[in-house]
Amino acid sequence: MDRSGMRVIALLALLATACGAGPPSALGGDPSAGKLLLRQYGCAGCHRIPGVPAAYGNTGPPLDALARRVYLAGRLPNTPENLAAWIRDPQRIDPRTLMPDMQLSEAQARDIVAYLYTLR
Amino acid sequence: MKHFLALLGAGLIGAAVVVSAGWYNVSADQHLAATYYFLDFALRRAVRQHASEIEVPPLDDPALARRGLALYREHCVRCHGAPGVAPEPFALGMTPAPAMLAHTAREWRPAELYWVVKRGFKMTGMPAWQYQLSDDDLWAVVAFMLELPRLSPAQYAALQAPPVATEKVELADEKPDAERGREAIQFHACVTCHRIPGIVGANAPVGPPLEGIGSRGTIAGVLPNTFANMVRWLRDPQEVSPRSAMPDLGIDERDARDMAAYLATLR
Repeated sequence: MDRSGMRVIALLALLATACGAGPPSALGGDPSAGKLLLRQYGCAGCHRIPGVPAAYGNTGPPLDALARRVYLAGRLPNTPENLAAWIRDPQRIDPRTLMPDMQLSEAQARDIVAYLYTLR
Repeated sequence: MKHFLALLGAGLIGAAVVVSAGWYNVSADQHLAATYYFLDFALRRAVRQHASEIEVPPLDDPALARRGLALYREHCVRCHGAPGVAPEPFALGMTPAPAMLAHTAREWRPAELYWVVKRGFKMTGMPAWQYQLSDDDLWAVVAFMLELPRLSPAQYAALQAPPVATEKVELADEKPDAERGREAIQFHACVTCHRIPGIVGANAPVGPPLEGIGSRGTIAGVLPNTFANMVRWLRDPQEVSPRSAMPDLGIDERDARDMAAYLATLR
């Protein structure tokens, strides 16, 4: 889909939220809780993340428009399930990755995924 | 004057309407005759102008033409065909249809042939070969093209091409050139997967965006971001990260160093 199409959909999604019938978040997580977790768990220290205060880190790649990214960790197709698997146990996906295992719970990973999937 | 401006304005508005309504036909159908003759004229004038200062090396060495034949069979024949040889099916669907080159050397001068092979044509299927073939190989292709008009189908079929390395291999012995690297990034398809500042059209979301890559801490999540590591990664991604989706693009040392120099400027 082209960008203007995306914008229309984003706008419709926004309208739907305003009407109280928000679109389901990715994996059913809570995006605002996820946003907080991204700060608390130090993600912002290494990544640039729109909407997260002081997230200017440039050790790893920027996470803007992450929902549109095709690959995660340079190898996984970008699905909510794969994103959750990656942030919960990066070394299982890539044993040599410098991304640390932050010992996130499944629920926390779901919330973070929900927030990152709002970044289009 | 007033009438002219009004006419120009109406024309521009009309064009804007046609384009934004999606009525302009971008399919591979042949152009309208007027568009075709205009583009063909522009192409001929541009080639003549851009090739006017190129110095032509001696091209009459038969070994050079034989090397050109090997390169022609590897890289050109699939689209352009050869005496008695049809292009492959995919090339038959292209607009413009790739030229049958048996007569081209009669119409174009060697410097012009060289410039076209080296730089390609935008909005056609003709690639720029400058980052895929060395300068010597570009001239070898030209040397073979000069022989093409004199070859019967039987003679072409009987020609023996020596086995040659068909990839460009240039060692870097100079200071890396960031501006050349910016161009090399365009011609190694980096732009089809990454968002890259300073390059028109580089906005794809397949791999990570490269804003700030010059000051980023890591490459591929596994290497510290140094100039040498960037060159290593660009030249052989799987050596660094075996399951990476980033393909090995056959980038030689010179191009990799120039590309790394450009990426280092993105801070």
